[in-house]
Parts: sequence; structure tokens; C-alpha cells
Amino acid sequence: MNCSDVDRILPEIIDSKARDGAPINDLDFEFQAHLRNCLHCSELVSDLKLIASEARQLSDAEEPSPNVWLRIAAELRSEGLIREPELVSRPVMVRAQRGLWKAFWLAPVAVAILAAGSYFLTHRTTPPAMQKSAKSVDPEPQIQVAEQPAAPPTSTPAAQKSTTPSRNQTPHVRALQAPPDDSEQAKLSAPPATDDQRFLSEVSSRAPTMRATYENELRAVNREIQETREYLRRYPEDMDARQHLLEVYQQKAMLYQIALDRIQ
Amino acid sequence: MERLQQTTVVTIVLASCLVTAAIAESRKEYRFNVGPNSNISVDTQYGAISVKPGTSSQVVVTAISQSDKTEVDNQQSGNRIEIASHLLSGADQQSGRVDYELLIPSDATLSLRSSTGPLSAEGLQGDLTFEGTDAAVNVRNVNNGHVHVRTMRGPITLTDVRNGHIELSSISGALTLKSVTGPFVRATSGSGRIFYDGDFGSGGDYKLSTHTGDIEAVVPADTSAGFSAHSLLGKVHNELDLMPQHQRYPSEEGRSFFGSKGKASSKVVLHSFSGKIRLKQR
Repeated sequence: MNCSDVDRILPEIIDSKARDGAPINDLDFEFQAHLRNCLHCSELVSDLKLIASEARQLSDAEEPSPNVWLRIAAELRSEGLIREPELVSRPVMVRAQRGLWKAFWLAPVAVAILAAGSYFLTHRTTPPAMQKSAKSVDPEPQIQVAEQPAAPPTSTPAAQKSTTPSRNQTPHVRALQAPPDDSEQAKLSAPPATDDQRFLSEVSSRAPTMRATYENELRAVNREIQETREYLRRYPEDMDARQHLLEVYQQKAMLYQIALDRIQ
Repeated sequence: MERLQQTTVVTIVLASCLVTAAIAESRKEYRFNVGPNSNISVDTQYGAISVKPGTSSQVVVTAISQSDKTEVDNQQSGNRIEIASHLLSGADQQSGRVDYELLIPSDATLSLRSSTGPLSAEGLQGDLTFEGTDAAVNVRNVNNGHVHVRTMRGPITLTDVRNGHIELSSISGALTLKSVTGPFVRATSGSGRIFYDGDFGSGGDYKLSTHTGDIEAVVPADTSAGFSAHSLLGKVHNELDLMPQHQRYPSEEGRSFFGSKGKASSKVVLHSFSGKIRLKQR
């Protein structure tokens, strides 16, 4: 414990001593140890104890009996100079400053979302090998035609043609027609991450009726982020997609910000 | 005779309902004297806010409460006025509703917030900021100001907005821009549709962007703009006769088009992830 620690806990220690004279906890022992080694703090504490003691004696000596106050009050009441407080209930404000402050954690989360978007926009997360393969524009082996995703396997030439992309289809067309595999699908429908869960629980506690709305919108935005990231995984050179990803992250940040502003 | 009695009963019931509603509804008017370029902010959890131009030196606010479960706070600090209604215990969306009607100087800077809306403003020239969750936002006949609007699901409509710095953003609300021009126009929606009807002005920088929402722009024949449209996974359709223009990226049949019309005095970017983009001539 140093001098600044003493300054911080001094009022608590003095009050406690004044009330029951007993050490309050282990902190008190550290406090006493510091006083033994620090002349400045020791003198300060002595002065404060003296003042507290004198003040208590002064109060005892000068404070009139409670009956005096009661008699004065009765006389003033009989003369009509004071009245009993009216028992009209004052409205209770729902908006509480403390609660509002609690929701401010949403703000840094929104900033973090934007930062993540910016980082993703300016840093390539795709391994060089994948970028190279994306440039080579030949993802055909994994591609199926989306128009007939549920068509049963068949061995007819026509059916085989329908499940193979045509030669003049661009990579983007083929990307559109390539249904996500199971892991991608799982990611797209994955539940919200930790921050999102925290966000939703905050919404639940403050505006329960809005929970479903915010959850739906959050899922939609997360899905947009996942779709764009998946697209960028396939086409990391697409600057439009990178810009779009930043915009989608901005949308998510905006969702957080609206919640911060609106739920009370 | 029996029918007459029934009609009488229905009339009495309706009249009672109207009287009850009128009693529950309370109107309060606040007046504030202000100088030029005042700053006005109105925030209500539930309720509509409507703003029109009034005199140049006074702000008149009429607050219409639906019950006694709300309170209206008003504060003036010099040229800045803040109006906010807060809910009292037990208030819900109906009983907590407070509608506002404002008459303000046309050069005032205005900020409106409401979860349910609608929010509307017309005939103003100052900077406007609107925010709502489900609130529909309507801005009409506004000149020279910044117009910033963001909603979660609420649709946004701008009509006859000239020379504005405009930023519209919604998670899933539809955006409609009719005769909207300015040096900087951004409209972004996730799943909402964007519809633009106008000539894109002169010397402006426009970008309309969605994720899954469709984008449609309808322009007159004498439009002067350079167009760049790209849907990463959706389709594009152009009905204009565009002059080819150089692009960093090759055009992709059915997914993008680039070209200019007239002197290309404005730049227009239409961008979507998987929505359809259509450019039509009026």
C-alpha cells in the first residue's frame, strides 16, 4: 500500500473506526503497516482522528434534544405554517441514466464491427494459393446448376448437361449457381456470435417486445456478411465485393447504433 | 323502428369512444424564440413527428399525448432546442405515444428520432437527420441541406430534394428517391428495394447499393450521367442507349454494364450483391 492508496481508503477507514473502532478487514492491517513507515500519512491520520473526535463531542454538546424540534414542528403545524407532505405519487421515469450507461457497451462493439470490416477490406485473408486458383477461373468440379438443385441423380446426357456449367458462363454466374456445401450452409444459418448474443440479451432485458425484430434483422445482416465473405473467399480480387463487405459491416454497426439509441 | 334504435345505439357508442379518445388525448403547445440557423431536436419513443416551415424567428411545437403515461421535456439553450418525451411506468406503445407537429424556421438544423414514426419534413433548407427503427420517413421539397436518414425496417421516401448531400441507409427498408439531386447521394439498403426516378442532376456523385434488394432507376431521355452497374450474383438490365466507356473491370454480360449518356456530368453507381438492377428510360 502506498500514500495514494491511503488517500483513497482513508475516509472509509476513519468512518469505520469512528463507528465501532474495529479493523474492517485485511486492508486495515496493510493500512496500519503503511502508517508505521510513513510519517506524512501517520500525521494526516492523527489529525483526522482528532477532528472527528472533536466534532463528535461538539455535536453531543450543542445538539438540542429531539423534543425541542418536535415541539417547534407542532407549533408551526398548528399555525398552518407547515403542512404534511401530500401523498400524490410522482410519476416514475422509465429512462434511467444508469441503464443508459449500461447499454454503452454497444458503442465499442459497433466500432469493432466497423474496424473488422475495414480490416477485412484492406487485408487479404485468402492464402496465396487460393488467390492463384481463383485467378485461374476453374472451379467447375465443385459446381452444380442451381436451377435444379433437388433433381435426382440421373445418367441421361441431358441431365448431365444440366448439372454442368456451360462454357460461356462466367465465374460469377457459376458462383451463383453453386449451392453452398453443408459447412457453408451451417455458417450461413449459424446462431449469432457472443457479442450478438450479448446484444440480444440486452435488447431482451430493455425492450422485450423488440427482441424478435432485432434478432431477425441481426440474422439477416450476419447472413449478408457470411454470403459476401464466402463470395470473397472464391473471388478475393473482386474489389466491388470488398467494398460491399465494408458496407454490410457498416449496416451491422448501424443496427447496433440504432439499438443503442432507441432501446431505453 | 327497430333499425332506428340500433342506429341510435351505434351512434351513441361511437360518440362515447370519440369523447373518451378526445379526453385521453392532450395537446400542449410550446413556443421558442430563435435566431438564424437554430438547431432543433425532437426525440419520441413512440409517435409521429411532422415538421413544416413556419416563421423565421419562432419554433412552435405541438405535442399530442395519448395518455398521462408520458412526459414531454423541453429545453432551450440559446439557439438550440431539445424536445424529448419519456415514458412513465406502465406505458406501452399505444399509451406511450406522443405525436409532434412542428413549425420551424426553414433554415434550421433538424434532428428527429422515433421508433415507430412516421417522420416527415417538408419545405426546409437546413440539415436534416432522421432516425427510426420501424419509422417511415418522408422528406419532401427540401433544398441545399444535408439529409441523413437511417432506419432499421422503415421505408424512406425523398421527393423533390435538390442540391442536397444525401445519405440514406436502412437494414431492410425500401428507399424511394423521386427528383432527388445533389453533389453527393448515397442510398444503401440490405434487403430493401431502391427506386430512383429523376435525372441525376449535374455534377453529382450517386451510389445506390443493396445486398438482396432490387434497384430500379428511371431517367428521362436528356439525362447526363455516366453509369456503372454491377450485381455480383444478380442480373442487370439496361434499356438506355449508353455510350461505351472505359472501365477498370471488364463488363460481364447480364451482371454488369457501363456507359455514359449525354455529357456524363454526373457519376452513377448501381451496385448489388444479388439483387436485380434495372435502368429504364422514362
